[in-house]
Amino acid sequence: MSQSSFMLNSKIAEVIKNINKVIVGKEDAVILSMVALLAKGHVLLEDVPGVGKTMLVRTLAKSMNCEFRRIQFTPDLLPSDVTGVSIYNPKTTEFEFRPGPILGNIVLADEINRTSPKTQSSLLEGMEEANITVDGRTVPLKHPFFVMATQNPIEYEGTYPLPEAQLDRFLLKLKMGYPSYQEEMEMLARTSGTHPIDSLDPVMTLEELAQAQESVREVYVDRTIEQYIVSLTSATREHPDVYLGVSPRGSMALMKAAKAYAYIYDRDYTVPDDVQYVARFVLPHRLILTSEANFEGKTADDIIEELIEATRVPVQRNVSE
Amino acid sequence: MKKLLLSLIYIGGFFLLLEWLWPLGILTNTQNAGVFYLYAAFCFFLAFMQVRWYIAVPLKLLGLIFVLDGLFIPERIFSSGWWSILYEQLMFNAEAVWAQEWWDFTAFFRSLLFLVLLWLVSYLLHYWLVIARKALFFIILTFIYITVIDTFTPYEAQGAIIRTFILAAFVLGLLQLEKEVSDDRKEIKWKTAILALVPLVCAVLLAVAAGAALPKFSPQWPDPVPYLENVTGGAGTGGGEGGVQKVGYGENDSRLGGAFVQDDTLVFQAIVEDRQYWRAESKDQYTGKGWEDTLEEPVTGRDPGDIGYSLFEEGVETDPSQGFIDFTEEADFGKLLYPYGMTAIGNLENPLEIELHTQTGEMETRSGGDAVQPASYSFDYGAPAFDLRQLREASGEDPVSVREKYLQLPSSVTERTKELASDVVSEYGNRYDKAKAVESYFSSNGFEYSTTDVEVPEGDEDYVDQFVFETKKGYCDNYSTSMVVMLRAEGIPARWVKGFTGGEIKETDAELFGENLNAYDITSANAHSWVEVYFPDVGWVPFEPTQGFTNNADFTSGTDTDSGEPERSEESPEVEAPDQQQEGNPQQIGEEEGAEGSAENGRGEGFLRNLLWWIVPAVILVLPAVMYVTRLRWLSWYHGRRLAKNETPDSFQAAYRHLLVVLDKKVQKRGEGETLRTYAKAIDHRFETVDMQHLTTQYERLVYRKEQRLQRAGLSELWENLIKKALS
Repeated sequence: MSQSSFMLNSKIAEVIKNINKVIVGKEDAVILSMVALLAKGHVLLEDVPGVGKTMLVRTLAKSMNCEFRRIQFTPDLLPSDVTGVSIYNPKTTEFEFRPGPILGNIVLADEINRTSPKTQSSLLEGMEEANITVDGRTVPLKHPFFVMATQNPIEYEGTYPLPEAQLDRFLLKLKMGYPSYQEEMEMLARTSGTHPIDSLDPVMTLEELAQAQESVREVYVDRTIEQYIVSLTSATREHPDVYLGVSPRGSMALMKAAKAYAYIYDRDYTVPDDVQYVARFVLPHRLILTSEANFEGKTADDIIEELIEATRVPVQRNVSE
Repeated sequence: MKKLLLSLIYIGGFFLLLEWLWPLGILTNTQNAGVFYLYAAFCFFLAFMQVRWYIAVPLKLLGLIFVLDGLFIPERIFSSGWWSILYEQLMFNAEAVWAQEWWDFTAFFRSLLFLVLLWLVSYLLHYWLVIARKALFFIILTFIYITVIDTFTPYEAQGAIIRTFILAAFVLGLLQLEKEVSDDRKEIKWKTAILALVPLVCAVLLAVAAGAALPKFSPQWPDPVPYLENVTGGAGTGGGEGGVQKVGYGENDSRLGGAFVQDDTLVFQAIVEDRQYWRAESKDQYTGKGWEDTLEEPVTGRDPGDIGYSLFEEGVETDPSQGFIDFTEEADFGKLLYPYGMTAIGNLENPLEIELHTQTGEMETRSGGDAVQPASYSFDYGAPAFDLRQLREASGEDPVSVREKYLQLPSSVTERTKELASDVVSEYGNRYDKAKAVESYFSSNGFEYSTTDVEVPEGDEDYVDQFVFETKKGYCDNYSTSMVVMLRAEGIPARWVKGFTGGEIKETDAELFGENLNAYDITSANAHSWVEVYFPDVGWVPFEPTQGFTNNADFTSGTDTDSGEPERSEESPEVEAPDQQQEGNPQQIGEEEGAEGSAENGRGEGFLRNLLWWIVPAVILVLPAVMYVTRLRWLSWYHGRRLAKNETPDSFQAAYRHLLVVLDKKVQKRGEGETLRTYAKAIDHRFETVDMQHLTTQYERLVYRKEQRLQRAGLSELWENLIKKALS
């Protein structure tokens, strides 16, 4: 799904160009990370280790001069290891807050399903509320705040899969996938000397990012597009293979993502194409399929694809308006 | 496989074209129609084989020349004489073209034009079916053509319409199959082809079977032709087999009934003292639907100067006179027409052999075994004056030969017909009065003279029963046949006679053999049928049961003068055109007929009114159909004009949406979930442009951004480009 024929927003284009110095290929993943960042959402990356998840986030952080933090989730990780802890300072005779890794701009939460639900929820709460509570103290999170959590789909032994209700805290769920033969060759060539990330310069300031996020909020969504979004999400609730359809939060997420996507392509209005594109990443993880459908080997991706094809795209304004 | 499919479609198209050509062979005097079919097939074959034009054109030309040579040029082909004939023909017709005297075209030139037309049609059909892959328009045209031909000519299209239906269903089905195959761009396999064809064949067969099995409404609207006929009025003996007939003298009377077309073509001119009925033949066997005759071996070798044949016995008083008859080309029945009492024929321009059928009184003229119509001849005749007393008192036995033949009745004749016959004649004791009673029965009792609204008996319905009891509307055939049947039911030998009435007087002092006689014009509309009743010792006496006509024969009262009858009969026989007669008998005429018969203007109005009945629904039906079929084009024109005139968001949006419809119909379907952008890309990819994407971006801004004005000008140009590409 390349939209190269449409113009990118010039600032975003610069960021993407910067990222592409390090990341080979993965245009979708790069664009969608930007979508999530601009829409103030978070991303769940589901993939095997070693395909460049960490590198993507680090590059993103470095391009924007953000503070990058990483949490490696392990079964024995405690919530305080995520949020930070208050330590008694004998000099000042006061408890002093030592901020945890969640208080960064861009946080990579690696293998989030390997830790206990208690620790998971400390992160998820932060993602939802934009602040955390430590020792009865409310600490606001940094701005911008962007979490990219990863999940290893292979090793389920001793993991705590995220409950469905938690999953829809993530705006998008992505897969990186393996690079192509050429891309992998290119990767080897690039990293044979010094790693390109070491020489990466920031191209966007935090203020510019905040401004961009503000612009995204202002992207115009016409009633026809709103109708289209609702038609799509409500169709998931009526699909016979779906046990639990997309919630209204899903509709809002879809609209936010579509706005960000439109902004990336330098438009101040959304078109159905935006909705269709982001729906493939916004909606699937919000569905629970029936056990029959699972048994038949259907995936949520298939169902969303099917619904996109079958839902009528609005091509004209209603006469009544 | 694909090739085979196309060839099947194309062959289907050829047979559809043949449906256009058949009626030509039947209706027109086109000789050797087969040659034209062959030439059409030849052109089709060449077009189908996709022979290169520089081979195909000379081949077709050569074929054309061979056809013309075979038909018209006796000289050896390509000899100098041949060339000079060709040159003369072409020059003559070129002059006719130049002078716009189209009627001067020779048969040679008309055939040439027709062949060229076939050539063009084969090309056109090849384009329609094989290149454009569209047949519906042609098929609709074919149906219209066949129905029109069926309605307005004697051509019987019942078979044609069924054949066309089957052909059309197959051609359309195959085209659809072919289209689907070519859309998928994959080679079709035999198995799938057969799987697709079996349902097609079944569906067509089922449709035909269902069509044949289902009960059919009789026509809900009156036949349009009788209205045409109404304008001029007229009567006649129709030929043909039911349905609409063309008025005139016909050979086949096996199925009578139905309305007919008026035809005022002059058939012959007669110079005689006064109006005569012109007898041609009689028929003896009533079938329940019409008349057949049992022809016996004709008597040949009669001397035209002394026919030696009379319909009545020598005792009947006659009034000797002479006459002359002059046929036009319209007359081609190969028979002599003669007045009652003809004794001799003269001045036959070429020696013709006369074959006399004594049973029917039919005198066929032959030359070397072929029926030939004499151009003109003179004759001696003695118009009979039947003695009423003799007729009333005629009491001898009918000869066996007469009883055998002329009392025949088929089983279809109903009991009520017989009962009615016996009721009508019950008061009378003698044969003449009985015949007279039956004859005059039809002049009242609710019978109505009509040539328009005349039914044809269906199924096992009897022609006479239908007329006498059901419809009570008809023309000479109905009246005369009914009278014969009723008389026969009463045991009176009678027969059905065909010929012409006396026609219209043209000249009052035409000179013939030194005498001043009258000249009469007799047209096809004067074709007529009447009745002859057999009286022992007298012979066959004509009767005239048809409303509006009076008996041609004289009856003398003799000594019996108390009956009022002779007075009328004594008058010189007046035969008038039915519409004139109807003026005199207004009480017998229906409202409609009265209005038409009263005056030319009234008639015209009635005709117009009736025509409106046909034109208005036709327009109402056809116009929307035409508008609908051509909607993409005229809507495109409309939107194009509107956009070009004023590029506003409104006009642009309407035009863009129309473009979407056209593209969807003609170029590529847009899926439900396909966005305008992806669709525009696909279209641009197909047309190798970027116009659609430009238009789409503009349209998106209007719809999804709610913009109130256009971002750029020149949209109508892009739009025109696309719509042209889409419609081509």
